[in-house]
Amino acid sequence: MTLKEKLTILADSAKYDVSCSSSGSTRKNEGGIGNAAFSGICHSFASDGRCISLLKILMTNCCIFDCKYCINKRSNNVKRAIFTPEEICELTMNFYRRNYIEGLFLSSGIIKSPDYTMELLIKTIKMLRYKYHFHGYIHCKAIPGANEYLLKELGNLVDRLSANIELPTESGLKLLAPNKEENKVTKIMSYVKENHNRSYVPAGQSTQMIIGATKETDLDIMTKSEALYKNYDLKRVFYSAYIPVNKDKVLPMLKTPPLVRENRLYQADWLLRFYGFRVKDLLDEDNPNFNILMDPKANWALRHLNEFPKEINTVSYYDLLKVPGIGIKSAKRIIACRKNFKITFNDLKKMGVVIKRAKYFITCNGKYFINSDLFKKSFIEANLILEDNPKVENNKEQLSLFS
Amino acid sequence: MISNKIYLYDGNFSTLIDLITKLLAFKTKPLNICAKNEYQPSLLDETIELELDNNFNINKIQISKNIIKTIYYIYLSNNQNKELIIYYFLLNALKYQDKIFTMRNLKCVDASLKISKYVSNENHKLKGFLRFQELENHILYAEISPTNNVLELLSIHFKKRLKNEYWIIKDVGRNMYSIYDKKKYYLISGNNMNILEIKNNEQEENIKKLWTTFFNTIGIKERRNKRCQMNFMPKKYWKYMTEMSEKYEKSNNR
Repeated sequence: MTLKEKLTILADSAKYDVSCSSSGSTRKNEGGIGNAAFSGICHSFASDGRCISLLKILMTNCCIFDCKYCINKRSNNVKRAIFTPEEICELTMNFYRRNYIEGLFLSSGIIKSPDYTMELLIKTIKMLRYKYHFHGYIHCKAIPGANEYLLKELGNLVDRLSANIELPTESGLKLLAPNKEENKVTKIMSYVKENHNRSYVPAGQSTQMIIGATKETDLDIMTKSEALYKNYDLKRVFYSAYIPVNKDKVLPMLKTPPLVRENRLYQADWLLRFYGFRVKDLLDEDNPNFNILMDPKANWALRHLNEFPKEINTVSYYDLLKVPGIGIKSAKRIIACRKNFKITFNDLKKMGVVIKRAKYFITCNGKYFINSDLFKKSFIEANLILEDNPKVENNKEQLSLFS
Repeated sequence: MISNKIYLYDGNFSTLIDLITKLLAFKTKPLNICAKNEYQPSLLDETIELELDNNFNINKIQISKNIIKTIYYIYLSNNQNKELIIYYFLLNALKYQDKIFTMRNLKCVDASLKISKYVSNENHKLKGFLRFQELENHILYAEISPTNNVLELLSIHFKKRLKNEYWIIKDVGRNMYSIYDKKKYYLISGNNMNILEIKNNEQEENIKKLWTTFFNTIGIKERRNKRCQMNFMPKKYWKYMTEMSEKYEKSNNR
């Protein structure tokens, strides 16, 4: 098999792993090649619009597991390949020198045993670090069930170490991935959390959940994420819209992956991490799923319209963050600027506020942006939905009644 | 005092800052400031050249590193009025010091910060989009054609990252080269150089193919989203990107 064929097979199998980030590490170039950029660098964008920053490959797509959603499950009849450590090192170096990539993302199917697989991964990365003197970014997948001393060794070599939780509930995991156990994944997370420091997994850990392969609600998913962030100091939870690659009676038949739902989950994820929201603010047993037509923050704001409009010149940082159309950067700018001058609607645009969303929810020096008679849930809701979904034609007619 | 004169300088950053500090000291507001080689004479203009120091040290001015960086980034931009913009930014920076970064209600400050950000963004993008190829003699060679003059900023980045390689980056639009000899980089105009024919290393085609293979494989076809791809990676950068150059040619021949 040629190197090109191997690369095709092993990149094709790795593409379902979402994580592409290369940020959070300050690794220096110590007499070899490469360094890490703290902010991360995107080197290209694939045809699906996702960023490419790392050479994302599996070491091998051979696997002793039989997870129902996975293209590489044992019972599938697909072409199998395995890279030698030298091949992985050469590819990484050749790509890195030409500035194609920011580093390596290495994952693997499980061959023989978790320990054996981990040892091979470690051998490869050790070679890359010590023989090829590579100081760029490396994200490696830890193999659930591998011995702790292997986790220790691997974590000292890489910038990010991660293990995928795959599904938000244990029952979902049992159904689709009978060989996987959640506690083996969380054991890795605990270990990384306890040992994390400047030289051990400096860029922290992340994980991934598949969305829409099982019956779980958005509430189940977000509750899981909230717990993961809290218990294991994760940098990121990634969400991956389920793409049917296998046929199985327990798997749903989807025509297109649930991309909008995935997007809503990411938006909510940011609300948890940076905006001071909790899951119970956004979802409950009666509304266990996000509104597909509207982002979670706007949805929340409409349900709490009594807390609005908020006065830009006086409310707190976290109150500003609650306003649709105001993000972290613009909120920080508003706080810094209003010490010096009274902010008007004109200034807001310069600070990066998305006026067309924010205007319904704020006042500047006591003034409401539009006619204050229009401060009504029905009016704001219809306008926001139209803004987000230009294709919703029937809403347009409804709108003309208001304007 | 508002002057009706256009002040000319040699195009150097130090000279420009010397000129602006002098104008500020005289409380003179220039009609415009232009680099000599870019100035297009007009009958109605009155131009003037002061005696200026092209070794002027900007650190002598009482402003923070952040302000100096902002000013330098504006200087690197392709904005037609960048000199005048720097003049007004520095005028306000001397008055407000670091508070200036929160004075976005002032038009000239807002414009300055936006231009500086634009340059910094393009620099960041090219840190990713720039592509080297290996030449016969193992030198790494890249061509770029950025909107703003980010060649030096990129050189600082690659000096750290590829410190044990010889590399050359060419800004095609400005005909400027950055040449790195494993110790320092040198910025040299193409007018002052003889460039021999550029020949690739023989394994180069093979590696380009591997990269293009990877690039075409890693996209998920069920999630295809060309618009999103284009938003993040504007077409103006495609020409010099290994994996996109063919698509660039195709789309231009259509």
